[in-house]
Amino acid sequence: MPETMVSSAGGLLAMLNESHPLLKQHALYNLNNLVDRFWPEISTSVPIIESLYEDDEFDLHQRQLAALLVSKVFYYLGELNDSLSYALGAGSLFDVSEDSDYVHTLLAKAIDEYASLKSKAAESNSDGAEVDPRLEAIVERLLDKCIMDGKYQQAMGIAIECRRLDKLEEAIMKSDNIHGTLSYCIDVSHSFVNSREYRHEVLQLLVNVYQKLPSPDYLSICQCLMFLDEPEGVASILEKLLRSGNKDEALLAFQIAFDLVENEHQAFLLNVRGRLPPPKSQISEPAQPKSTVPDSSQNENSSAPEDVQMTEGTSSTVHEPDPSEVVYAERLTKIKGILSGEMSIQLTLQFLYSHNKSDLLILKTIKQSVEMRNSVCHSATIYANAIMHAGTTVDTFLRENLDWLSRATNWAKFSATAGLGVIHRGHLQQGRSLMAPYLPQGGAGAGGGGSPYSEGGALYALGLIHANHGEGIKQFLRESIRSTSVEVIQHGACLGLGLAALGTADEDIYDDFKSALYTDSAVAGEAAGISMGLLMVGTASEKASEMLTYAHDTQHEKIIRGLALGIALTVYGREEEADTLIEQMTRDQDPILRYGGMYALALAYSGTANNKAIRQLLHFAVSDVSNDVRRTAVLALGFVLYSEPEQTPRIVSLLSESYNPHVRYGAALAVGISCAGTGMSEAISLLEPLTSDVVDFVRQGALIAMAMVMVQMNEASDSRVGTFRRQLEKIILDKHEDTMSKMGAILASGILDAGGRNVTIRLLSKTKHDKITAVVGLAVFSQFWYWYPLIYFISLAFSPTAFIGLNYDLKVPKFEFLSNAKPSLFEYPKPTTVPTTVSAVKLPTAVLSTSVKAKARAKKEAELKASFEKTAGAESSPGATSAGKGKASNEKDGDAMQVDGQPEKKAEPEPTHEILINPARVIPTQEKFIKLMEDSRYVPVKVSTFRVCSLERPATNRARSAFSYRYTFIYSITRERFSHRSARFCIGHGS
Amino acid sequence: MDPKLTEVSQLFERFKAACTRDDLNTSTNQLSQLKVLLTGFRSLPPLFENTPDADKELTIARDVYEHAVLLSVKIGDQEAFERNFFQLKPYYTDAGSCLPQSPQEYMILGLNLLRLLVQNRIAEFHTELELLSPTALEDPCIKHAVELEQSFMEGAYNRVLSAKHNVPYKSYDYFMDLLAKTVRDEIAGCSEKAYDYLSISDACQVLLFPSENELLEYIKEEHPEWEIKNGSVVFQKAKESAPCKEIPSLQLINQTLSYARELERIV
Repeated sequence: MPETMVSSAGGLLAMLNESHPLLKQHALYNLNNLVDRFWPEISTSVPIIESLYEDDEFDLHQRQLAALLVSKVFYYLGELNDSLSYALGAGSLFDVSEDSDYVHTLLAKAIDEYASLKSKAAESNSDGAEVDPRLEAIVERLLDKCIMDGKYQQAMGIAIECRRLDKLEEAIMKSDNIHGTLSYCIDVSHSFVNSREYRHEVLQLLVNVYQKLPSPDYLSICQCLMFLDEPEGVASILEKLLRSGNKDEALLAFQIAFDLVENEHQAFLLNVRGRLPPPKSQISEPAQPKSTVPDSSQNENSSAPEDVQMTEGTSSTVHEPDPSEVVYAERLTKIKGILSGEMSIQLTLQFLYSHNKSDLLILKTIKQSVEMRNSVCHSATIYANAIMHAGTTVDTFLRENLDWLSRATNWAKFSATAGLGVIHRGHLQQGRSLMAPYLPQGGAGAGGGGSPYSEGGALYALGLIHANHGEGIKQFLRESIRSTSVEVIQHGACLGLGLAALGTADEDIYDDFKSALYTDSAVAGEAAGISMGLLMVGTASEKASEMLTYAHDTQHEKIIRGLALGIALTVYGREEEADTLIEQMTRDQDPILRYGGMYALALAYSGTANNKAIRQLLHFAVSDVSNDVRRTAVLALGFVLYSEPEQTPRIVSLLSESYNPHVRYGAALAVGISCAGTGMSEAISLLEPLTSDVVDFVRQGALIAMAMVMVQMNEASDSRVGTFRRQLEKIILDKHEDTMSKMGAILASGILDAGGRNVTIRLLSKTKHDKITAVVGLAVFSQFWYWYPLIYFISLAFSPTAFIGLNYDLKVPKFEFLSNAKPSLFEYPKPTTVPTTVSAVKLPTAVLSTSVKAKARAKKEAELKASFEKTAGAESSPGATSAGKGKASNEKDGDAMQVDGQPEKKAEPEPTHEILINPARVIPTQEKFIKLMEDSRYVPVKVSTFRVCSLERPATNRARSAFSYRYTFIYSITRERFSHRSARFCIGHGS
Repeated sequence: MDPKLTEVSQLFERFKAACTRDDLNTSTNQLSQLKVLLTGFRSLPPLFENTPDADKELTIARDVYEHAVLLSVKIGDQEAFERNFFQLKPYYTDAGSCLPQSPQEYMILGLNLLRLLVQNRIAEFHTELELLSPTALEDPCIKHAVELEQSFMEGAYNRVLSAKHNVPYKSYDYFMDLLAKTVRDEIAGCSEKAYDYLSISDACQVLLFPSENELLEYIKEEHPEWEIKNGSVVFQKAKESAPCKEIPSLQLINQTLSYARELERIV
């Protein structure tokens, strides 16, 4: 018998009108099976079926069947709302596990509906009472099913979106890999939860869950607590770990501390430090290696919050020989050193110094090709030098060219002096003495010998050196502000103090700025405005309205602009909370305040990729009457989108073809900011045409942006890097090129090789937390359009690309690890042709035997020591600091010897491998290839299997997630954990 | 033989007997039971499962529905007719290939065409017609319906009424009567439009009534709004005709001009 099929549903539809209920049921049942084919026919009979559903005499099952049928027909008709409401009527007949388009579509619809009801309810603070219980039931059924099927990530996603924290908890607790699920959850809550408040609820829940676990993952807990801004919680965890008898736990505490520091949340870190309880018994004073803080400040600011040495109060008490307390005290000292950020800064400094690979020949070429009388290019060269050597403390170029340098006058002199601050960034111990020759003398005002420009610059430089770690220098800078009436010095001091006190919200300092502001001098006022923002960053403080009022009062555009940016900074990361202020600013008559409004949008929603913010910015980008506002609006997109850099090129691609050069410029910088350090191919393709734009300043912006994107890439990873370098050289050498683009090219050369080719620009930490300092740095940097000295702010965004492993003593031991990729992919760019003094001897890639490495290393080591001693001697401060240094390097030698003693392993590594020695340069893209050696003495802190050798170490690092690579800075931790984690992320995002 | 099938055939026999006896109540009840029983067979539409007794089941089910259709004609229930016919139809169309043709098929199809004609559903009538094969069109039952429709459309109402006398089956009578009424309604509708009034005798002739009484009866039931005055039937045309709407020419011109203006601006 041939396959027979019905050709019409007419017969069954007719049966619906039969009087016998069994016949109706038969018809419904069959129609339900045939609806996929015959819905057009059935749709004409929907009223009849609806009436069956509403017929009370009909039995429940049949009514539900009718509802299901109607729901399906409505689904095919595209009436999803009706479809959903009937599906709800179908009760249990609506099978959430069915694998059909209908069910999938309706479930998605149901979840959307439910989620939007729940969030509305949450926003209006009313109960979820008006939520249809049937809808709730469906969603719950779905959640339960996901959990039962082991689709935990799906369940968590839905639970989070629907604000069902109870279900979220259930999903997490039931999952087979709780730690994995939790970290996925944290990830999701950062990337997909838009409301700040709700995100906090989620994180709070996660913390609770974490704490219930038998083996809590303290690292993650502390990260969460940091988002929640709960220093008490972190402090008590740290204390617990420190007091533990197990050395591993203490190591873990150190690792936590390093991770926290990486997020650069100064105020929070200070709070944590302040809350760590002192040891019960006293330890001897010398155990505090306070030598890191310049001595002058140690006396002056004992009242500052960082100085939690309550130990002093009890110092004379009994020496109880309780050994555990002694251990605790010792560890406490260490952890405070880490939390203060000094440890990381010191390590970075050493790393950048010892691995410095900057190419002086490039600078020399620039210097020679730049016309003497062109002061813009002249100072651009100075900026480029500063950026190139940021944090390396290498000022050879300046020293060799003192004559040339002295051509800088007035503000150029200011920047030249401030450039020293960038070069010595993080040189906390000697910063002050380095700058001493330029600082205002005697504190009595302008009486000193130097010009106010270099004095102001020196104060600014101090701020740069101490950026975000200004405990030691604050007091000095405050005095400088108060004791001068020269506006140039005030300018420098305000910027310096703003940097040093970044985000501390200190009222007294605010008052200092206010008095500088109220002098109504344009130059000082601008800096004061910006610095108020720096000081109050992310506090959403009331002060913003005060600043806004003054911005309306004053006549000086510079001051208004400074204040506008300052106000924007105060709302950093506050998301919806900032909406009122943003509204107020974007509606202002004054274009400068609207311009500030753009920054406020950028910063309040920085890294959230919030659709509303993007929409608003795009609107301003095309509709505002002021070019400044339009430019900034486009540029601001870069900040909003930096957490999803892949999006930016797409979003701004049309704008980059705008007829308006300001918009094109903004588009270039937006890409530069959000894709900084990624080397993303689309970004480069977008910027390429802009680098040969017809308008000079667009070229400038594009060159700078390109350099930001390509920082640390070499030709092996993208051939366009080489092209770009040659293009820069051509522009710089071309006599007829416009000054603007020439300046752009010079700066770009600087950024491309920033920090001795060992730093990249990174706005997110490895836990996806925004790095406040970096974001703020780039925001202020982008002001260089109006005020060149602000270029130096870019140094705040630099993060060293280092892998540094530490041992329990927080020393850097020598050990080897493996980079599982061709060395040529990640090596330094080749030095420019003519051999120069820079000893950038690159080893031939394939043959990297450890012994050769070790020799090179030993040589460097020697150089390092020598130069440290030299600088120490030269700077005439042979006090405690250099002693400390000497000790450190001695110990290093000890370590080195230990290593030498070990037999060489892995005789001939394959050319696809490379063996690196701690500490090493590991650039972001290389991160995934890094592995610790199997037989290494060191294992990362966070791996479960500890080695017998007692020196495990905190290897630091920045673990990266798989789907957006950033990079690698490691202060202590574990490669292995890293690779686990990335694997997990892959799974998470795959499904 | 499957006991269910036996049960159905026995019940069917009784049902047929009741039909012939014209015991309408019993037969209706039995029919309903039969239908319920039929839902138990999985070989029937829409499932068409290939069960061992499929042929027999299909045949008996078709017979049941054919009788159901005829029964509804007998009762004069058009809705039931439609319902039963639709349920029957899959047996002709979809199961046609695996069953011998039913002797009653054309008769019932013809009946259905007639029904559509009566209900003045001309579009559906033609749809059905298009689905029929050329052989079917040759069948007297179908032909009859087709000719009726043609006469109907031409306005040859007298031919329609005279066709009543040569129906192929007795069961057609019911619909033929109804058709006469449909025709009359048509005529009445046309007359309303065409005349202001008609004399009663003319009206009788036009509406094809043999006597005045029947005409008056008809007017009372169907068109109470018609008035009988002075031996004439007065239609209410004047009252109904709504004034023709004016064309909003001025507004249209204005709009068109403004579009043109704006287009120019955009370009």
